[in-house]
Amino acid sequence: MDLAPVIDGFGVVLEPTNLLYCLFGVVIGMLIGVLPGLGPAATIAILLPLTIGVEPVTAIIMLAGIFYGAQYGGTITSVLLRLPGEASSVVTVFDGHALARQGKAGTALGIAAIGSFVGGTVSIVALSLVAPLVAGFALDFGPPEYTALALLGILLVSTVSSGDRLKAVIAACVGLLLATVGRDGFTSAERFTFDNLQLADGLDFVPIAMGLFGLGEILYNLEERHRKVQAPAAVANVWPSRTDLRQSSGAIGRGSVIGFVLGILPGGGAVLSSLAAYAVEKRRAKDPSRFGQGAVEGVAAPETANNAAATSSFIPLLTLGIPANATMAVIFGALLIQGVSPGPQLVTQEPELFWGVINSMYIGNILLLIMSIPLVGLFVRILRVRATVLAPITVLITLVGVYTVNNSVFDIGLVIVFGVLGYLMKKLGFDPGPLVLAFVLGSLLEDSLRRSLLIFEGDATGFFTRPISGTLLVVFLVVALLPLVRGALARRRNRSDDRTDTTTPKELV
Amino acid sequence: MTSPHHGAHALGSPGGRETAGAGPAGDPAPPPSTDTGMTDAGVTDTGVTDAVHEVEVEAEDRPPAAGTTSNLVIAVVVLAFGVAAFAGSWALGAGTAQRPAAGTFPLLVSGVLVLLGLGLLAGVRRTSDAERFTAGSWQVLAGLATMVVFVALISVIGFEIPAALLAFVWLRVLGHESWRLSIITSLAVVVAFYLLFVAALSVPIPHLF
Amino acid sequence: MTVLVGFVPTPEGEAAFTAGLAEARRRGEDLLVLNTPRGGAPVSADLAPPELVQQQTTRAQADGVALEVRQTPHSGDLADEVLRVAEEVAASVIVIGIRRRSPVGKLLMGSSAQRILLDADRPVLAVKPQHD
Repeated sequence: MDLAPVIDGFGVVLEPTNLLYCLFGVVIGMLIGVLPGLGPAATIAILLPLTIGVEPVTAIIMLAGIFYGAQYGGTITSVLLRLPGEASSVVTVFDGHALARQGKAGTALGIAAIGSFVGGTVSIVALSLVAPLVAGFALDFGPPEYTALALLGILLVSTVSSGDRLKAVIAACVGLLLATVGRDGFTSAERFTFDNLQLADGLDFVPIAMGLFGLGEILYNLEERHRKVQAPAAVANVWPSRTDLRQSSGAIGRGSVIGFVLGILPGGGAVLSSLAAYAVEKRRAKDPSRFGQGAVEGVAAPETANNAAATSSFIPLLTLGIPANATMAVIFGALLIQGVSPGPQLVTQEPELFWGVINSMYIGNILLLIMSIPLVGLFVRILRVRATVLAPITVLITLVGVYTVNNSVFDIGLVIVFGVLGYLMKKLGFDPGPLVLAFVLGSLLEDSLRRSLLIFEGDATGFFTRPISGTLLVVFLVVALLPLVRGALARRRNRSDDRTDTTTPKELV
Repeated sequence: MTSPHHGAHALGSPGGRETAGAGPAGDPAPPPSTDTGMTDAGVTDTGVTDAVHEVEVEAEDRPPAAGTTSNLVIAVVVLAFGVAAFAGSWALGAGTAQRPAAGTFPLLVSGVLVLLGLGLLAGVRRTSDAERFTAGSWQVLAGLATMVVFVALISVIGFEIPAALLAFVWLRVLGHESWRLSIITSLAVVVAFYLLFVAALSVPIPHLF
Repeated sequence: MTVLVGFVPTPEGEAAFTAGLAEARRRGEDLLVLNTPRGGAPVSADLAPPELVQQQTTRAQADGVALEVRQTPHSGDLADEVLRVAEEVAASVIVIGIRRRSPVGKLLMGSSAQRILLDADRPVLAVKPQHD
């Protein structure tokens, strides 16, 4: 491996501007990650306008900082309040909050910070080794491979999303349709523009992401929910003891590996890996009953894993141009706005950007470790700010922010329309993540599909004659059809169950 | 032109079946088990998934599920959208597999959408993940109204007054904050936005002052 | 009949609780401690931590007074909530803690205590924390 570009990458990161944006991203990410309601995807979406007019490297460094800052912010609320800031720190609640109730909140947060740091760092090293290989391998990909890859990516994100899978796939289809709005690239026919000039160039990514993730979320939270209010928790003794560290070192090691591997997979890598890492530790433990009662490994494993996964989920994005989850879709959109299209050619054509982003993660993780512990007190104070005060400020940031991207009032209208759609989707059980992901991949998918059909001269079986696209499509079919088959089996079993009147739980098969 | 090249390359590579095995090994694309990943974790440790669900429900505090009628309406809306998109794509020209036209891709997608809508319709009684609209939903409508006013007025009288109005309504009416806090906060927000966007960043946003 | 104490974990609140407890014992009534934080934020400093509630329960038990501590969050004005609960439980007296304030301070900080004093349709006992 040629090390020169890697070292140049460090040069890029250590430029003062980039360091500053990295710090800014990590702190903003942690702050907003602490607030319940806005997840990392929403945070990044709302802050997208900040990246306009900034160098691409700097922009992505900041967005990546927000991403893993938000991961850790979610941990703080999980531990202190039993309120997971986001899905990937739900498991942390069990032992983290138990520790907090024993007065050891500091231990839990310290272990989580150290685990996140180690997991993140291990994952970056592995990423630096694996990513160029994957990119090199993918250089030979033609349109059929991209068709298959995009289809599989969209399907996997839909199936692993929260909520109903059918609804998630429906959301993805709507996203694909929205991507077709505007002038067709091949025939320059106007599609679904309804003679509106503003729509001729297609829908812009920023208002869609800001509307669906940001505004939709705010509107959803506007409905009064009787959320619990808690007394402020005292956080003392943030440094874990030597015994705690020794006890959790194994969990951190295993969590790093699990997180890295699962994070590469499209779909809920971080969520999946935190669950898996917790389950592994519980199974390996001599005394599994400690778990849930405040076992440090129960905090270390999932927190290490989710951070490792968050890092490795950059691999498919940076090497294949396929975002692995909703947050990556937003970062993908940000890159496109910057005029950078991620893909296998990124390593060779824009080594500064590629290695700059990857190396910024080292710095970001160090900043995270340094900032997290002294700032815990501040974060706890932020939790006292009422949502009713924050909401109008966030709304105005969104509305004015989206205007600044294109200086267009039409975009403010769009963000409101998509805000309403996002609210309705969340309310009615549709995950907006697959829609945004499908929208981002829509033109790539259509392009490669049409090119492939031209190559195959209309013979769709051609996809299966090429090894990689064939394999990917077989996987696609298995993933798509499995729930149907399983559903049919479950129904048949239920029917026989009714007859014999047994109460077998569904999970057993 | 890159595509013909790739096509030729692929057609020239022999033994698709044999090399297919090597594909996924070096490929970051997931093995088929990803789909079952969630449940795998559950099978190894059913307690964890149940407990996770419990925490999520507790944290989200969602209102009761919507009734069958709402689910029916959702399915019909999805179906109608699919049909409309299908008709629209058809009008663009369906094309053929040999010669894809502007309408080909949207036609395929909206076809799938129609099928999925039918699936949703079939399962209307079984789904439980839609929420019921509650009295609180009116608040959302009120919040939406302030945003519509904002976008309607911004080109006419600039952003300051609509922004202050929006913040005030959200604070005082939707948030039940006190008069004093509502007035001070909404004014402070507008001043901060003015200083940031107009004075510091010189964004050409329509402004009154 | 019930003695209602509006409680926040401050010296003023502490004084109100002590006075309310004595009042309940004197009248031979139940004691309701209303410790309602403003809803909307995940954390509120107005909420008494569990240890404090435990301590109050012990003190009430020692004095032979039946105690209920209500900690459900409210939205809107605190004074309205206190008055609403007073109505609901038909409180015989409302006990609140007040701060010493200069006229200027009062102008800037419209106080819930003042509204309760003015708007309540039943006796209100206002106490101040003891300075030593």
